[in-house]
Amino acid sequence: MSTNRRTFLTGLAAAGGFAIASPAVLGQAKPRVVVIGGGAGGATAARYIAKDSAGAISVALIEENEVYQTCFHSNLFIGGFKSYEEISHRYDALAKNHGITLARARATQIDRDKKEVVLSTGARLPYDRLVVSPGIDLKYDSVPGWSKDVEEAMPHGWKPGRQTQLIKQKLDAVPNGGTILMIAPPNPYRCPPGPYERASMFAHVLKASGKRDCKIFILDPKDSFSKQGVFQEGWEKHYGAMIEWLGPKVHDGIKSVDPKTNTVVTGFETYKDCAFVNVIPAQMAGEIARSAGLAPAGGYCTIDPASMKSVVDPNIFVLGDACIGGDMPKSAFSANSQAKVAAMVIRGELAGARTFPARYINTCWSLIETDDTVKVGGRYEAKDGKIAAAETFVSQPRESAELRKENQAENVGWYAAITADMFS
Amino acid sequence: MPQNGAVRLAVLGFVLACTPADAAGDRALGEYLSSECTSCHQSSGKQVGGIPAIIGHPAEQFVALMNAYRERQRDNQVMQAVAARLSSEEIAALAAYYESLKPNP
Ligand SMILES: Cc1cc2nc3c(=O)[nH]c(=O)nc-3n(C[C@H](O)[C@H](O)[C@H](O)COP(=O)(O)OP(=O)(O)OC[C@H]3O[C@@H](n4cnc5c(N)ncnc54)[C@H](O)[C@@H]3O)c2cc1C
Ligand code: HEC
Repeated sequence: MSTNRRTFLTGLAAAGGFAIASPAVLGQAKPRVVVIGGGAGGATAARYIAKDSAGAISVALIEENEVYQTCFHSNLFIGGFKSYEEISHRYDALAKNHGITLARARATQIDRDKKEVVLSTGARLPYDRLVVSPGIDLKYDSVPGWSKDVEEAMPHGWKPGRQTQLIKQKLDAVPNGGTILMIAPPNPYRCPPGPYERASMFAHVLKASGKRDCKIFILDPKDSFSKQGVFQEGWEKHYGAMIEWLGPKVHDGIKSVDPKTNTVVTGFETYKDCAFVNVIPAQMAGEIARSAGLAPAGGYCTIDPASMKSVVDPNIFVLGDACIGGDMPKSAFSANSQAKVAAMVIRGELAGARTFPARYINTCWSLIETDDTVKVGGRYEAKDGKIAAAETFVSQPRESAELRKENQAENVGWYAAITADMFS
Repeated sequence: MPQNGAVRLAVLGFVLACTPADAAGDRALGEYLSSECTSCHQSSGKQVGGIPAIIGHPAEQFVALMNAYRERQRDNQVMQAVAARLSSEEIAALAAYYESLKPNP
C-alpha cells in the first residue's frame, strides 16, 4: 500500500464520520474475533458472531477441554435425574456448522498492546476484538484447612467434570445415619440457588435409597439465600428435618476443616466423622481475565452494561461468571444472554451490522424433589451504570403441584434449547 | 470484500425499517430480539419439555399470543416477564421474524 493511501485511510478512520469507518472494515482482510472459553458465554458468542456475520468475520474459539460438561443440570446428574452423557457436549458441530476455528489449548496470556492471545502451545492469535468468558476460579484459601491438595477428599463440585462425579460417588457411599456437611459460598458466586438445589438432590437420593436417618447441614456465611422461602418450605414438606440450614449467627463462622478426619469446626460446634463434606469456597474471575488486568477492583471484571465491553480495554468483552453483571446472577442463562449483546455490538463495530439497545434475560429453575421445581428470573437493561433488573419474578410458597411440575417441564425444555444455542 | 456484503445487508435492513408502520414488522429488529427467545424456544422449531415451538405462526396470531401474556390474560411468569418489556413495534418485529422461519429438524 502506498504511503499516500495509508495516510488517507488513517485520516478517514480518525475522522470517524462514517458509520462503518472502523479500521477493520477499511484496512486489512477479514476482521478477527478471538473467544477465550467455550462455556455458556464463549460458545454462544462465537456461534452468534460467526452465524450472523455469515463469513464476514473470522472467529477462533480457544478452549482447553475437548468436552464441556455443563455445571447447569449437574445437580440433576447428582440426583439421578440425568446421565453424565446427557450433560456432556462436544464442539465439533459448532465449529463445522459456522466455520469457527477451534484452538484446543489453554490461553496463557493476553497481550493487550499487540492485541494477541498467547496459547499454551506457544501460538499467538491476533484479534481485532477479544471475548473473555473463562468462568470462575476457586479461592482455595477462603476456608481454613481446605486447599487444592484436599479437593478430592472434600470436593467442591463447582467446576465440572471429575469434581461433579466425586460428589455423586461420595453421596452414593453415605451410610444410613451419616452426616453430610455442605459449606456454602459467600456472595458473589456462580449460580446463587445452586448449593440449595444440590442439598435438595442429596436429600432426594438418601430418601429414595431408604437412608432416612441421614442429616444434611448447610453451613452458610450468608444471612439469607436465593429462593429461601420456597426451598425451606419444600425441604420440610419432602424431607422432614433431614436438611438443616444454619446461618452465620447460628454457627458463628467456619473455624477449620480437617480432611483427614472429615471434621468441621465452627464457632459453636465440632462436626466429627462426617460421611461427606462438600466445601464450596469463595470464587473469582478465571485466571486469564485477572492476569490481563481486567479485574482491577478485585475478583471480577467491570463491564459497560450497554455493550459488555471491559471498562479497561475497549477491544475486550467480558462475559458470564467472570464479569460484574449488576442485578444479573452468575448463571449459564445470564452468560448466554450477555453473549448475544456482545455479539451484536462486535458485528456492528467490525462488519457495520445494525445495532440495537442491549437487553438481557435470565431464569434459574431449581429442582427440590421430583416434579417440584421453583424458579426465579427477570429481564434486564443497561441503566444507572449497571445491568439493572427491569422485570422480575420468583416462585411463591404454597403454589400448586401442577405449577411446580410445569416449572420442571420448562427447565427440561430450557436445557435442550440453551445447549442447542451454544453447540449446534 | 466480504464485509461489503454485510454492509449491504445492514443497509437493506435499514431501508426495510423505514417502510410504513402498518407494513410488516421490522424483521432485522425481530431477529435481534429473538436472541432473547432462543435460550428457551429453539429456532429449529424443535419442541422439548414444557417449551412450545414458536416458528411459522401467522404474524397476527403471534401478536395475539404475545399480547395475551403482556396483558396477563395468559398465565406464565416467564412469558409475562418477557412480554411486559416489549413494545407493540417490537412484538410486530418478532412476529415478522418468526413467521418467516421454517422448521429445520
Ligand atoms: C452446581 C451448579 C448448578 C448450576 N445450575 C445452573 C442452572 O440451573 N442454570 C444456569 O443458568 N446456570 C447454572 N449454573 C451456573 C453456570 O454453570 C455458570 O454460570 C456458567 O457456566 C457460566 O458461563 P461462563 O461462560 O462464564 O463460564 P463456563 O461455562 O465455566 O465456561 C468457561 C470455559 O472456559 C474454559 N477456560 C477457562 N479458562 C481458559 C483458558 N485460559 N484457556 C482456555 N479455556 C479456558 C473452561 O474450560 C470452560 O469451558 C450452575 C453452576 C453450578 C456449579
Ligand atoms: C425462560 C424461557 C422462555 C423465554 C426466554 C421465552 N419464552 Fe416464550 N414461552 C415459554 C414457555 C414456558 C411458554 C409456554 C407458556 C404457557 O404455557 O402459556 C412460552 C410460550 C410462548 C408463546 C405461545 C406459544 C403457543 O403456541 O402457545 C409464544 C408466542 C412465545 N412464548 C414467544 C416468545 C418470544 C417471542 C420470546 C422472546 C422475546 C420468548 N417467548 C421467550 C418460555 C420462554
